[in-house]
Amino acid sequence: MLSKRQFLSAALGAVILAGTANGPGRADDKTMTISGSGGAVAEIAQKVYLGPMQEETGITVKRVGTEAKRMAQLEAMVRSGKVLWDAMEVSASDYPIGVKKGLFEPIDYSIVDPDHKLPDSARKKYGVGAAAFSLVLAVRTDKLPAGKQMTSWADFWDVKAFPGPRALRNRPQDNLEFALLADGVAPGDLYKVLATPAGIDRAFNKLDQIKPHITAWWKAGSQAVQLLSDGEVFYSTSYNGRITKLAASGVPTEIVWNGGALHLSLVGIPKGAGHVDLAHQYIRYRAMNPARMREYIKLLPYPGFAPGLYDGLDPQVARTLPTYPDNLNAQFAANEEYWADHIDAIQERWDEWLLR
Amino acid sequence: MLWPALVMLVAFFLLPTLDIVRSSVFDPDLTGRHFERVFTRAIYLDVFWRTIRVSLIVAAVCAVVAYPVAYYIVQRPRRRQFLFLFLVFVPLWMSVLIRSYAWMVVLGREGLVNAALMGLGLTDAPVKMLFTTGAVYVAMVQILLPIQIVTCYSAMSEIDLDLMRAARVLGAGPWQAVRRVFLPLSLDGTITGAIIVFMLSMGFFITPALVGGRRDLMLANLIELQVNQLNWGFAAAIALVLMAGTVACVAAIKWLSRRLVRALSGGGAP
Repeated sequence: MLSKRQFLSAALGAVILAGTANGPGRADDKTMTISGSGGAVAEIAQKVYLGPMQEETGITVKRVGTEAKRMAQLEAMVRSGKVLWDAMEVSASDYPIGVKKGLFEPIDYSIVDPDHKLPDSARKKYGVGAAAFSLVLAVRTDKLPAGKQMTSWADFWDVKAFPGPRALRNRPQDNLEFALLADGVAPGDLYKVLATPAGIDRAFNKLDQIKPHITAWWKAGSQAVQLLSDGEVFYSTSYNGRITKLAASGVPTEIVWNGGALHLSLVGIPKGAGHVDLAHQYIRYRAMNPARMREYIKLLPYPGFAPGLYDGLDPQVARTLPTYPDNLNAQFAANEEYWADHIDAIQERWDEWLLR
Repeated sequence: MLWPALVMLVAFFLLPTLDIVRSSVFDPDLTGRHFERVFTRAIYLDVFWRTIRVSLIVAAVCAVVAYPVAYYIVQRPRRRQFLFLFLVFVPLWMSVLIRSYAWMVVLGREGLVNAALMGLGLTDAPVKMLFTTGAVYVAMVQILLPIQIVTCYSAMSEIDLDLMRAARVLGAGPWQAVRRVFLPLSLDGTITGAIIVFMLSMGFFITPALVGGRRDLMLANLIELQVNQLNWGFAAAIALVLMAGTVACVAAIKWLSRRLVRALSGGGAP
């Protein structure tokens, strides 16, 4: 016979199981859920996009903070048929993985961008470009040798002219491209070279030269900022928005746009989402509204391609953005598809290379 | 009343673990390619041995450092014991991530230790401490030490200290009383603590990634990389190799400790 306590614990278990199995409440037709970064980014998104969108359209957008493992959650939801999100932020590197695994709904551009105003790079089949960001070379200007300026990856590799500790991100993506640029490959030929085994060898050989001078191989974006601000390293790769912030906080840091890797964050729709129509309206609002995007840029320098974005934008601010024409032309567009296809083999080689 | 715990264990531990086993060999059909990759590419076994070595060293250092601390605490009056245990517990309430970042501040080029060394004139240029394997050991030992101290303490607090007095009355010297009475009785708790610390170390990845150098890669880092690529089958295969290695090491530690206890408590005068 069950004791009272046994009964209670069994009942509690049943309630927990029922709660997880039930799925989302589909309250009404004007409410949708999106998943994206948490923390400060979530606050800014609420203030700039979600609040005003509710006022203008009556659509309530609930935001779920998902930092790491967003794709793992997505795959679990799509597989189990209980999709809780209607739209989601898709990082540049996650996009091809999700496409390969069939985790997204196709985008209907007759709703999002009927007049074809977005550039083709932002009009992907399963996602719309919402925010550009760059992995760039960041320089502590107070640590530079007197009278010198670092302006290229060749300079970063030149430890005689620019002595001092350096940092790179601990992953092969972007770094192989930077190495080839330092080795004299033209930005337009990067992925042609990397498509051949000899080209990958060439990149690793160039990385061999800089390896002894890399003090830290950072893993999280915040780490690169701390390395620079603590003076742990003088030169490091970092994300452009973080460096703009670091410089504004008074640490003498500068972005070298030349040779930067331009990435594009997307918004997409999970396969089997409950509100595909609302999701399209949200995506349109997120990607196509220049006034909102200008507000967003004031808080986070990660611009999208809303038509007319640069009209009426403070030139001071415009110059700090990765899609500002001068900056855009100095960089190369990172090829996420290349990496999705090659990461398995190159990652193993990268890890082995680091251990040596 | 054991069955609610059993139900929980089966539902939330055993079944998911079996699912990991399943996904390592069915992807989607029966395949050995994931395990083949783990055992044929040098990187995985290389990092596997590194992970075991780091974990064994961390567990051993924790055991040696925690033992005298726990011994000291257990001999204090009851209320003092609680105060000391509270102090041991305080760092446990801080997240591992924050403690790892704190070590970056302490060990960095312009960090506290280097500032002190240079201020005292002991060195002209900053000593490289951060991003070294040594930093990994220091940070991991600091993070895991409270667990070892508390496990050790709880085992020691059950030992009747009168037994030592009895040994002395019967003619044992002070060191002999400790070695043949207290040490064997307390060793079990120390070994238990060391095993817990060892198992936790085997799964570490944030701390080595933040304070370690480029060679301080743990197997958990490689699992995470695969999970981010949604390569579940291969991630499962690495995870199972990690688990098998952990179980084998724990068995070896237990076997060794049994022999050690026998050797200590038996035997004549040194």
